[in-house]
Amino acid sequence: MRAWARLLALDLRRLTRSAGTTAAIILLLGLGIYGAWRAGRNAEAARSSLAAAETAYDDQLDFLLSVYPPTTDAGEVLYYVAFPAPQPPLPVSALARGRAAVETESLRIRLLALEGQLYEHETVNPRLAAAGYLDLAFLLIALLPLFIIAVSYDLISGEREGGTWNLVRLFAPRRRLLAAKLASRAMLVGAVAAVVMAAGALMAGIDLDGRAGWMFALVALHTVFWFALCLGVAMGNRSSTANAMILAGVWVVLTILAPAALSLANAVLHPVPEALELTVQQRQGYHEAWDLPPSATMESFYRDYPEWSGQAVPEDVFTWGWYYAMNHRGDQAARDASRAYREVLRERDAWARRWSLFAPPLATQLALDRLARTDLRAQLDYQDAVRRFHERLKDHFFPHFFATAPIDAVAWDQVPTFEPAAPADSAAQAGVPPAIALILASGLALGVGVRRARA
Amino acid sequence: MRNAPEGLRNTLLIARRQLGAVRQDGYVLFLLGLVVALGLVAALGARHHVASETEQRDRYQAMVDRQWLEQPERHPHRVIHYGFLVFREQAPLEFVDPGVSDYAGTSIYLEGHRQNTANFGEARHSTGMTRFGRLTPASVLALLLPLLVVVAGFAAVSAEREGGTLGVLLTQGATPAQILAGKVLATGAVGALATLPVALAVGVMAGPGLDSPASVTRLGVLAGIYGIYLAGWVLVTVLVSAVRTSSRSALAQLLALWVVICVATPRVAASVAGALYPLPSRAELTAQVEQALNEVGDSHRPDDPFFNALREEYLERYQVGAVEDLPVNWRGVLSRESEALTSRVFEDHRQELVKGHLRQNKVMAWSGFLSPYLAARDLSMGIAGSGPEATEAFLAQAEAHRYTIIQRLNELHIREIRNENDRAQRLSREHWGQFPVFGTEPPPLGGALADRPVSLAALGLWIGLPLTGLGLARRRLALVGTERSS
Repeated sequence: MRAWARLLALDLRRLTRSAGTTAAIILLLGLGIYGAWRAGRNAEAARSSLAAAETAYDDQLDFLLSVYPPTTDAGEVLYYVAFPAPQPPLPVSALARGRAAVETESLRIRLLALEGQLYEHETVNPRLAAAGYLDLAFLLIALLPLFIIAVSYDLISGEREGGTWNLVRLFAPRRRLLAAKLASRAMLVGAVAAVVMAAGALMAGIDLDGRAGWMFALVALHTVFWFALCLGVAMGNRSSTANAMILAGVWVVLTILAPAALSLANAVLHPVPEALELTVQQRQGYHEAWDLPPSATMESFYRDYPEWSGQAVPEDVFTWGWYYAMNHRGDQAARDASRAYREVLRERDAWARRWSLFAPPLATQLALDRLARTDLRAQLDYQDAVRRFHERLKDHFFPHFFATAPIDAVAWDQVPTFEPAAPADSAAQAGVPPAIALILASGLALGVGVRRARA
Repeated sequence: MRNAPEGLRNTLLIARRQLGAVRQDGYVLFLLGLVVALGLVAALGARHHVASETEQRDRYQAMVDRQWLEQPERHPHRVIHYGFLVFREQAPLEFVDPGVSDYAGTSIYLEGHRQNTANFGEARHSTGMTRFGRLTPASVLALLLPLLVVVAGFAAVSAEREGGTLGVLLTQGATPAQILAGKVLATGAVGALATLPVALAVGVMAGPGLDSPASVTRLGVLAGIYGIYLAGWVLVTVLVSAVRTSSRSALAQLLALWVVICVATPRVAASVAGALYPLPSRAELTAQVEQALNEVGDSHRPDDPFFNALREEYLERYQVGAVEDLPVNWRGVLSRESEALTSRVFEDHRQELVKGHLRQNKVMAWSGFLSPYLAARDLSMGIAGSGPEATEAFLAQAEAHRYTIIQRLNELHIREIRNENDRAQRLSREHWGQFPVFGTEPPPLGGALADRPVSLAALGLWIGLPLTGLGLARRRLALVGTERSS
């Protein structure tokens, strides 16, 4: 055992003496700490964005109530009020930003037709978004494997080419040697990954719950997968340069090509023309209503809300009940397109997750986004939560409109508040499939390597 | 000895020798096939994407235009709320390089009193798989071809040294410059071999778009930019191969360089740009706009100071006692003035945001000196017409269009609608045909290049530095040769 420990220490020293390895470690740690700091900043920005939506609602309400006489129709003032629908991000979302940069999770919703309000873009600069973003997930899933490759591609071939393999084999059996070399590399890579993750957890203020646990476990398994792959390739009887080319090639295929090809296929298989369709339909559905008698609009309104069918509106004067019912007509017109739109996006999401299992690093990355709730599904779930909120607001306010109640009849403290979307699946549901894919792929890589080494 | 034909012959001989070695290298051939196949798939996929986007855009724009013309008799203010939908056109070479298009919205609803955001960018419909962007001809050329060049050329000089043949070549009368030139030529030929099918496919697919000579020019300039970028990779590869002691370390160093230039730096630069010049979130921006709007006033509000003053002014000008007696429509006047005020608020805030984007983009441009990949992509999207300035031009043109249409409707309200019983009146349908149609012009090619001096300089440096390096390495190569042969 002591001999083995000495072997390990010796190998560690050899590894860290290389200028390239040292530079890579410094670079990774630097990026990791920067990434962690940035994660903290992002979490802070997300919090202040949510707070801004809440404050803006309070300010707007105070302002409106101060300029409109208390006898003003509630419907008139409510036209201006935008209710906040803030979805607090999970703390772990700072580690895997996923699609957070392009999505809005603190919409403010008016009582008008909803479909036109749901798809607002974040203020993202397209130039930065197109360059890709740097979060800890990217560092650990895309860059860390390159470091593993860099320290392991010449695991055996390096000794062989240096003429030292036969020499060191005199002192220890092949398997023990290999174990020591692997252990020293695993310690080095593990230390880098641990520092990066710890920095991220500390600086972004992450609770160590099941979701964070699964994220760390997946990152660890993913790291093991790359070691297995490197070992599998290194056991073949090839030159160091051949190993380097093969491993770099595998990295390019798994990290760049597989996602790009799958994404292309996904877009071709699941087109989304409904986005424009629902926009056009909603606008037409609402505005046509102005040229129709109010009773026509109310009839289609009562179909969705039979409980209010007793509430007739006059035919010849403007009423707020009719006005908001016309807005509802816009959503009705867009309903089919909107449903189809969501279905296509859910299909895209499910398809991506299914096929990504063939490229385990991709599956890992998608799982991290899902655990952090920064994926497409989370956004769709958020939009559904906003839909429910809008319905609850309508339930609350329509009686005021039908009764032509004045604004001071509104009990503002009883207005429904937004209920954030709950995670659609448990942490295990998100984590298990990629974990199995990673374990199987690791076994496969090792098995192929061992067979080739024996052959 | 130094005469040109022989020098050229030696260079070509070396190049042929190198190509022979490459031809026997299974990895290079495999990668060559892969890059060509990917380039073709990328071109086909991108073409499909552009075709379906264009078809959709045309279909819905036609539908919206028809709906506008088929409006019944309406009150002009009704039409102000009805508004207009516009869709962004695809860039001239969108299918070669979609630039920032995926992250910018494709449709805007233009209506009175409000400035909406452009919605439904492709990125919002993607699953988060494409952290390296979509597979397009541009990404194959900028991201993957350098890898092929590296694999084809990392051993170009170092293998000769390791095999002891470098000294032989030198004693046979080949000068170091001829050796290096031959290696550069051969490695460049491999890169060109991979680029040609992709370029041809792009050229063929550009077919219908190539009616305009402007697109042909764009395609030519684009080819030039990628040619320079890849030539830089060829020079760097041969240079590293010439100065490293072993092929193995040359390969490791070149792969590390590729990771730093093509993978890490673009993201670090984007992240740093975002940290240096943070933007307000949508929620914060909306809150700011709301506050500013509250300050400028609202004609719907009773006792609004601005609009009270306006009323006094009009009553005085026309010497009447009440707004109902004005010869112009008072509600129309209110609506026009209110639109002018609120539009300025919206536009000021949007301009603030654009300024933030420009500051961030400047960081990206200067990062081109660290990552020629960024410089090449920046120039590429500019030439393709899919850069940030194109999406910004769309937003600016959409806002200008919105303002024109809304204010024309307000003028109609002021002139054609009587004060009494205002809301019951309607405008006849022939008015709807008299509004301008929306159309965007892609930013001109000359402007796109002139706006990117930093990226052009960075790309120049990417060629200049390794050339200088090769000049210096030439001397060292001669030394190595004498060491070996002595």
